[in-house]
Amino acid sequence: MPIDNPSDPLGRTARPPMTVLVADANTRRARALSDDLRADPSLRVLSVPAGTALIDAVRQHHPDVVLVDMGRADRDALDSIRALTQPALERPVALFVDRDDVDLMETAFDIGICSYNVLEAPPDDVKPLLRAAIALYSRFKRTRGELTEAQRKLAEQKRIDQAKRLFMKTENTTEDQAYRWLRRRAMQESRRIAAVAADYLAAHGQGDES
Amino acid sequence: MTRALRIGLLRLTDSAPVVIARNHGLFARHDIAPEIVLSPSWSNIADGLAWKTLDAAVIFPPLAIMTALGRRGHAASLRPLCTLSRGGNTLVLRGTNPLATPWPAGAEGRQAFDRWQQSIGRRPRLAVVHMYSTHLLILRRFLGQIGVEMDSGIELVVMPPADMISALADRAIDGGCVGPSWGTEACLRGLGFLVGGSSTVMPFHLEKLLVISDRIADRADRVKAALRDAVAYCRAPDNRHALAQELAQPPEKGGLALPARATLATLDENTTPEPVTFVAKEATHPDFAWITQDMLDLGWIDEDERQILGV
Repeated sequence: MPIDNPSDPLGRTARPPMTVLVADANTRRARALSDDLRADPSLRVLSVPAGTALIDAVRQHHPDVVLVDMGRADRDALDSIRALTQPALERPVALFVDRDDVDLMETAFDIGICSYNVLEAPPDDVKPLLRAAIALYSRFKRTRGELTEAQRKLAEQKRIDQAKRLFMKTENTTEDQAYRWLRRRAMQESRRIAAVAADYLAAHGQGDES
Repeated sequence: MTRALRIGLLRLTDSAPVVIARNHGLFARHDIAPEIVLSPSWSNIADGLAWKTLDAAVIFPPLAIMTALGRRGHAASLRPLCTLSRGGNTLVLRGTNPLATPWPAGAEGRQAFDRWQQSIGRRPRLAVVHMYSTHLLILRRFLGQIGVEMDSGIELVVMPPADMISALADRAIDGGCVGPSWGTEACLRGLGFLVGGSSTVMPFHLEKLLVISDRIADRADRVKAALRDAVAYCRAPDNRHALAQELAQPPEKGGLALPARATLATLDENTTPEPVTFVAKEATHPDFAWITQDMLDLGWIDEDERQILGV
């Protein structure tokens, strides 16, 4: 488990670092969030290794705050710590809720991140952590959306190229003529060229190859 | 145009009415545009209801009650729309059953427990799907019937229903109380044996209901009408094979990726002692009475809250 111990270059006595456990099955995002948080020297940032149950990581490391990707199904176990008899867990945790900032909470749940606090010594500075996590998750969501769009465009272009090659072969035409044929069909049918290309490939038994 | 109705559910046989209502155009027939949110955990369902990322959910009563009471940090204005299913939960243990049958109440059941515990060699780790679940209440009552204290006689763990299969295989748990079709799947795979369940503890108990947010109250009647049609489809014996196949499809093809054979078995009282019974009606006072009594006994709610709930 990676652990960062912040050190004060001036040798000042600082208050003990707040330990934050990042629990995200998406390893790239977990690493990015951990890196963001480590920029703050007052934080000691841990992450849950793949294959380790969230509740076991909490038992082992006693974090002050747990940032949890809501896609993790084992979050249910963490939810139950307060109510279950758990002698192995000395410090119970509870879902962090900011009743004064409903928008923050709704945004967090909507984007798929939530935070848990240690009950016996609840830290004061959870909101900035949650905001940092929301910002990171938003960035990943946006990047994923852009990636999906880029992949869609690439797949469309591949389909059009395949259809052109097939048309050139079966109709004995040039590439330019093949493209003009696809474009004309698309205009006549008020459809995208990629959709016409997909239909053409399917009609010739080459659908779903891209 | 009204925005889509976001309905949260988990991968369980008793989520079927909502899936069927969408796939078969029954919601559309009643002018409802649904968006099914397949959730990885019950916490996501509860938080979705509390923090407005869901408009409705398939849920068991204890968690719905705790969510409505604000235990997710935010009081949620929820109302039960209608029941969806009764029964269907299974109590499955790994290893070998010392009896050839489900365990009876009393001394004989206790002897079976003791012999089984000896065979596994540790205090049993038994799983439920959420702390505030009917499964926990059923497990507690079952253990009570055979004279085992839940607090001291077992170690209770929480995990999502679908995870129990691998947990049994890895011996991370020794059994659990789980909804359909996961307990049946464990038995079919030889990972466990059935000792009891809904029918042995509280026959025909209310298991899943659809709760809705007050925000969509104007659509309540139409949602209910669609679900009644869907439940009629799910109940018909002639549709069992088709229903099991549909639920076995992956989510991208409209299903829940449930194990087909086990799901089929959970639909038929001739193939399992713990069948799912689909029912779309108003929940009744007795449906909630035993649940809230147990919740009171466990200290989850107090008498004032029980009175507020009016059940």
